Amino acid sequence: MFEIDRISESEISLAGHFDASQQEKASKIFEEIKTSHTVLFNELDYISSAGLSILLYTQQRLSEVGDALKLKGMNPHVKLVFEYAGFDQIFDIE
Amino acid sequence: MERLFERRLESLAEIFAFLKDASEAMSLDDRLSFSVNMAVEELFTNMIKYGASGEKEILVGIERTPNQLHIRLVDYDSEPFDLTDLESIDISAPLEKRRPGGLGIHLVKCIMDEVKYEYKDRTTHILLTKYL
Repeated sequence: MFEIDRISESEISLAGHFDASQQEKASKIFEEIKTSHTVLFNELDYISSAGLSILLYTQQRLSEVGDALKLKGMNPHVKLVFEYAGFDQIFDIE
Repeated sequence: MERLFERRLESLAEIFAFLKDASEAMSLDDRLSFSVNMAVEELFTNMIKYGASGEKEILVGIERTPNQLHIRLVDYDSEPFDLTDLESIDISAPLEKRRPGGLGIHLVKCIMDEVKYEYKDRTTHILLTKYL
């Protein structure tokens, strides 16, 4: 089960299990984002490279206009994946 | 424990359910269970992405000895693709130079202690070991 919601003008929340079969559902929401947003990971249990790729594309696109994603509330397992990928250097992780 | 899965993304839900049962039966902690899910997802999706023409189901197996966890993926209808021979990705590259290609295999190598690849008679065997 995976849920993604725009909960305000500048916040997105992720919940559940973000695997490769959810790529299309997540891409739809992230492609709508044109300015800086905070992504709330509090309810997210799992993410794989498919999810990381979507975040990477979004961050690259936003950086072209001087904006960025901020990532917040990761559990330790998810955070470790970001560190292994070196994504802690290209995202502001709070 | 082992089971065959159809080579399509929709199989992931069944694979995770299978791995959850296996993790519980083998008393794996949350962190190990997370690593197992990730390793199997990355390898399975890689097999169906680069082996789209394959027609046979893919086998996923997992077993635990006192000191090691072994994971096995077998694709019975595949072209050779040695993932242990891939160039490593640069995880310190600046944002604009990052590419998602190779990220999944990189993660598998980070979370597992051994990754072995064998190819014979159109069959790819990937064997992963995690020391406990």
